[in-house]
Amino acid sequence: MTQLESVQQTGLDFGELVRRHQSMVFSVCRHFLHDRDQAEDVAQEVFLGLHRNLESIQSEAHAGHWLRKVAVQRSIDAGRRRQRRPQVALADVAEPAAETAVRDPMLGETLRRLIATLPETPRMVMVLRYQEDLEPAEIGQVMEMPVATVKSHLQRSLALLREKLARRGVREERWIG
Amino acid sequence: MDRLEQELKAALGRKDPPAGFAERVLREAARAPARGTALPQRNRPWPRWLAAAAAVVLCAGAGLGYRQYRGEVARQQVMQAFRIASVKVNHIQTHVREVER
Repeated sequence: MTQLESVQQTGLDFGELVRRHQSMVFSVCRHFLHDRDQAEDVAQEVFLGLHRNLESIQSEAHAGHWLRKVAVQRSIDAGRRRQRRPQVALADVAEPAAETAVRDPMLGETLRRLIATLPETPRMVMVLRYQEDLEPAEIGQVMEMPVATVKSHLQRSLALLREKLARRGVREERWIG
Repeated sequence: MDRLEQELKAALGRKDPPAGFAERVLREAARAPARGTALPQRNRPWPRWLAAAAAVVLCAGAGLGYRQYRGEVARQQVMQAFRIASVKVNHIQTHVREVER
C-alpha cells in the first residue's frame, strides 16, 4: 500500500478505485478512439485526474460518475487532437462472412469499425448506450445534451448501421438472436 | 432490444486494459504531487488573465511613454525653429537700420 492508497477523510482508496473502474474507463476510451494504445494513454490521464481531485470526490458512486464523464470528455478531446476522424475509412471495413452465425467475432469487429466511422457525438452516444447500458436520460446528463437529441442520435446511428450492414449483404434475419 | 442492438451490446462489451495498467497508474500517481496539496505559491503559474492584464498594462505604458517622448522632441524642434527665426529677424532688422542711416 502506498500513501496514495491510504485514505483518511473520504474513505476512498485510490488504488481500489483504479482497479474497480479500469475496464469501464479503458473501454469507453477504446471503443470511442478505436485505438488500444491511445485508449490506454487517455485512460491513464483520466485516473491521474481523479488522483488530483480525490478530495472533491464524496463517494464510490460519485467516483464512478466522475470517471465516466471525464473519460467521455478526454476521449473526445483526444479524438479531436488526432484530427483523423473517421479514423477507420468505411472502405477499410472488412466484410463479414454473410452466412456465418451470430456472435461471430467478425461481425463484432465490423460493428466496432462501423461505429468508429460515426461522427464523435453519435459515436460516444452509441458507446455509452451499448457498452455502459445507460438510458438516454443518463447519457444526456453525461454528455450535457437534451434527451431528445440523444434519442435522435441513437435512432439515426442505428439506421445508418443497418443500412451499411445491408449494403454489405448482412441482414438481421440471418443473425441468431 | 432488437437483434442489431444485442449485437452492438456484445461488440461493445467492456474490455480489460492491458496487464499492469493499474500498477502503472499508481506509479505515475506517486510521482505527482500528493493528494490535495496545492502547488507552492511561488511555483504556481500565473493565471492567464493576470498575464494578459500585465501585458496590456505594459503595452499601454510603453505607448504612453513613447507618445510623451515624441511630444518632447517636437517641442524642442519648434523651440529651435523659433530661435533660428529670431536670430534671422534680428539680423535683418540690424541690416535695415544700417541701410536707413
